[in-house]
Amino acid sequence: MNLPIRLGSFLAAALFCWGIQTWAMGSLPFNLQRLIALAGLYVVLAVSLNLINGITGQFSIGHAAFYQVGAYLAGYFSIHNFNPQGMPPWLWLILMMILGALGASLAGLVVGLPSLRLRGDYLAIVTLGFGEIIRIFVQNTKELGGSYALDKIPKIQSLWLIWGLAIVCIAVCRNLLKTAHGLSFLAVREDEVASSAMGVNVTKVKVMAFVLGSGFAGAAGALLAHWETSITPQTFSMDVSFIILTMVVLGGTGSITGSVLAALVLFYLPEYLRNVSAISGSTLVAVTLSVITAVAVMKRLVDHYHRPMKQRVIAYLATIVGSAILGVVLNIAFRGVESLAKASFTGDKLRLVIFATTLIILMLLRPQGIFAHHEFSWDWVRRLFRRPAPTPGATS
Amino acid sequence: MSAPGSDRPVVLQLTDATIKFGGLTAVNQVSFELFQGDLFGLIGPNGAGKTTCFNLITGVYRPTSGKIAYQGNSIGGLPPNKICKLGIARTFQNIRLFGALSAIENVMVGGHLRDPSSLLSALSYFPRAIHETARLREQARELLRIVNLEDVAEVRSRDLPYGKQRRLEIARAMATGCNLILLDEPAAGMNPFEKEDLVKVVRRIRDEYQKTVLLIEHDMKFVMNLCERIVVLDHGEEIAQGPPEAIRNNPKVIEAYLGEAV
Amino acid sequence: MWAGLDWGQLPQQLIFGLGIGAIYALIALGYTMVYGVLRLINFAHGEVFMLGAYTALFTSWWFGFRPEDLLKTPQQGTILILLIMILASMVFCALIGVIIERFAYRPMRNQPRIASLITAIGVSLLLQYGGALILPNSPPPAISSKVSPFADQITLQIRPPDAALAQAAEEKKKEFEVANTAFEKQLASEKSRFDLSPAGKELRDARLEAERENKKAQDAALASGYKLIVPSGQLIMLLTTVILMTMLYFLVMKTKTGRAMRAVSHDFDSAGLMGINVNSIVTITFVIGSALAGAGAMMNATFVGTPLTTFYGVQLGVKAFVAAVLGGIGNIPGAVLGGILMGVAETLVVWAGYSQYKDAIAFLILILVLLVRPGGLLGSAKVEKV
Repeated sequence: MNLPIRLGSFLAAALFCWGIQTWAMGSLPFNLQRLIALAGLYVVLAVSLNLINGITGQFSIGHAAFYQVGAYLAGYFSIHNFNPQGMPPWLWLILMMILGALGASLAGLVVGLPSLRLRGDYLAIVTLGFGEIIRIFVQNTKELGGSYALDKIPKIQSLWLIWGLAIVCIAVCRNLLKTAHGLSFLAVREDEVASSAMGVNVTKVKVMAFVLGSGFAGAAGALLAHWETSITPQTFSMDVSFIILTMVVLGGTGSITGSVLAALVLFYLPEYLRNVSAISGSTLVAVTLSVITAVAVMKRLVDHYHRPMKQRVIAYLATIVGSAILGVVLNIAFRGVESLAKASFTGDKLRLVIFATTLIILMLLRPQGIFAHHEFSWDWVRRLFRRPAPTPGATS
Repeated sequence: MSAPGSDRPVVLQLTDATIKFGGLTAVNQVSFELFQGDLFGLIGPNGAGKTTCFNLITGVYRPTSGKIAYQGNSIGGLPPNKICKLGIARTFQNIRLFGALSAIENVMVGGHLRDPSSLLSALSYFPRAIHETARLREQARELLRIVNLEDVAEVRSRDLPYGKQRRLEIARAMATGCNLILLDEPAAGMNPFEKEDLVKVVRRIRDEYQKTVLLIEHDMKFVMNLCERIVVLDHGEEIAQGPPEAIRNNPKVIEAYLGEAV
Repeated sequence: MWAGLDWGQLPQQLIFGLGIGAIYALIALGYTMVYGVLRLINFAHGEVFMLGAYTALFTSWWFGFRPEDLLKTPQQGTILILLIMILASMVFCALIGVIIERFAYRPMRNQPRIASLITAIGVSLLLQYGGALILPNSPPPAISSKVSPFADQITLQIRPPDAALAQAAEEKKKEFEVANTAFEKQLASEKSRFDLSPAGKELRDARLEAERENKKAQDAALASGYKLIVPSGQLIMLLTTVILMTMLYFLVMKTKTGRAMRAVSHDFDSAGLMGINVNSIVTITFVIGSALAGAGAMMNATFVGTPLTTFYGVQLGVKAFVAAVLGGIGNIPGAVLGGILMGVAETLVVWAGYSQYKDAIAFLILILVLLVRPGGLLGSAKVEKV
């Protein structure tokens, strides 16, 4: 990579951060600002877990724990030491990010060490257990707010830092994969015995992956603490870990692009559904039935219908249209059933049901994740535009 | 060929190397030595302990007793990556490539051992790391050329045919910059033409690149044709050692192979 | 710190821990068996457990143990009702387990394991939140304790009181009775209870004195003996678990199906090549594992009596999974051992006064054990063949 491109990407990143800061903080309502901030943090979490899970192949399912360590460490320190006159808040926030990252890295080191002996599912349960232990420890420590909240954290909200961290995190992972060092991480994922026979220091690679990945999560935690000013152990429950893991797998294990997009979509989906107006029981049943039909047919098509792309796309579209029609018809039919029509379900209640269903359906239809192992590249975009009739999926 | 004890320096020396798994003695007091530039064969019937011997040398297992020395320094019990760094590389009997990586990336992993750039410089994409990566890629391409795999450099190694996978493993081992290379049944599953090709590749590795080669093989013709000295193991014990002609006529070896045409 | 502990409570706490441990063991078996054949962490198993508890609740309602029904027609449960409840839970859970396997896990079988894991998480979330749409959960309903025909607790006299002390207590009791009747007699002739004559006052003081003496003697006699108060629910849980596990042992070790299961667990692909119908074995595994969870759920909901929500299975499920890993996942005796250990460890932590760390101890033990034995207590870490 030559100097102009390097400078250009720095400039683009800076411009992006500046843009998002001035645009969002200037004109958007508070809750939207918060969504943009949290989305950035989830990007960091997903990409950093992807480093541990997808790239190095260490099955960690307790990522929220590192997020929590960073948040509580930075939050607690900030409550007691922040002095508004001392230095500009953003500088303080950067220092807190570093503190959170260091603390979480240390935790990552502690968790990474057993991973030298444990494999696969055993490691997974240890990371999960580590998360639970951290949560219970916080819940029982009065100074950290116990089960209530650690509040009165100085309010330092900085979108550009959050998205800056996201960009740094993405850049670091991408750089790793672009150089020979990244290959040794991938090699550990593929075959530990062979990589060690080829001179790869498997221990070092695994521990580095944990330290780096958890460090980013810790920095994200520090930012969260100063954005929200009040954090509770529930913010970092097991469900959060699962959601981060889901982002990684759904995007395509090992693909940074996939992690970023899945983080944005999966974060936004439940937030969007929160505000969807209530639907009646009859609609719910009708939609459920038509979705089941669509998935069943789609699954058959994916597994057995090996025709040219064009025909397949037509078949998929036909399935979607067909099941949509079925849904509409059923909806009208079920309206006659009084008990169903009277029942009402709000978006807030339905959102996690829809979330879970989306998860299952995507895994059934595309188990390798949306992006599989592919990455976004300009080549790929160019190819997409050069060909007269590009079809989705032709890149694989 | 020159008799043992020639003027070339000793590369690898096993002295009474022994390993026990529970009650089973897989390798029992095996001793042999390799000189720089040797083309050395390790043969024996199934279950004789050949691969275990390899695992001892490369540090996968720690010897129960006995000594393994590389260039005069004891390496018994060192971790595999350290042993590799000292200059011993290997291939595997049941191919163990990095399936999701392309052929050239597999070779680059081998070369990464000699990559002087730090992880930090890689993470920040410093010119040094970029430069090293480019150099490794070039070196890997060169090695792929030696084993005739240039044309499939960008193919995922999982998708390569069996024979090519075996050759790719050799290239990957070569990339570590080793001095001694251990080949575990490199010709297994190859057809006669591929085997002939492989003989050339192995000779070239020795003659052109001055590596010492230790190989396990089942195909007697292949071994007798290629190797200059041979050790025969049976039930974990060394039963014969010497040049191919001597091995061919050794009654103990013939007995071990139970009448198999040697 | 040991001085502060109530050692007399210890045996009772141990029994309590065994009861909880039995439930953990029942759930852990489901995790371990499924892992054994499919190498899949069935995250939805905790939700199967939750559905089992709800099935037991609905069955008890059907028999008229809904709180409002009980107000109208009070009644006491019978053993038959308990049996029907446990059977209903087991059957329903088995059904749910099979459905989940058929429609969520089987299509994923040839996919990367992490994809099936995400599917399992998805199913788990779907059952939690989807269940919350339909099942009654606010306020959380609980199974009425009336459904159990047994007394709440059983008192076991382990060691009878010291004979001499018991004799003395008996005498003091008689003395007290004598003083008491004397006073009562006097009381009848008194004008008012609150304005006693001097003679009455004297008798009253004598009675008080005798009462005090009696109590002291009784306490001394009691303390010299040893009594165990066991909640009957814990005993039933323990007994039922032992019965179910014996059945499981025979099924796995002595029948053809069991042999096939062990073969599949050992090597999935080879078992299929040897003519075993792998799919039906997987189904049977889910049937058994889920039914055991159902039994555990019914007993836990009935005898421990925690109110039900659709998140009922989360905490217990995770802990049972930890128990399975602790014992060595894929290993059936290991799951039982892990479950029992976990239950006992938890109650001991509560007994020692650290109840707030009750949930952490499971993971702490797990991490310590795995550091020493990476394959769990009874599992063996497989050495990879190079």
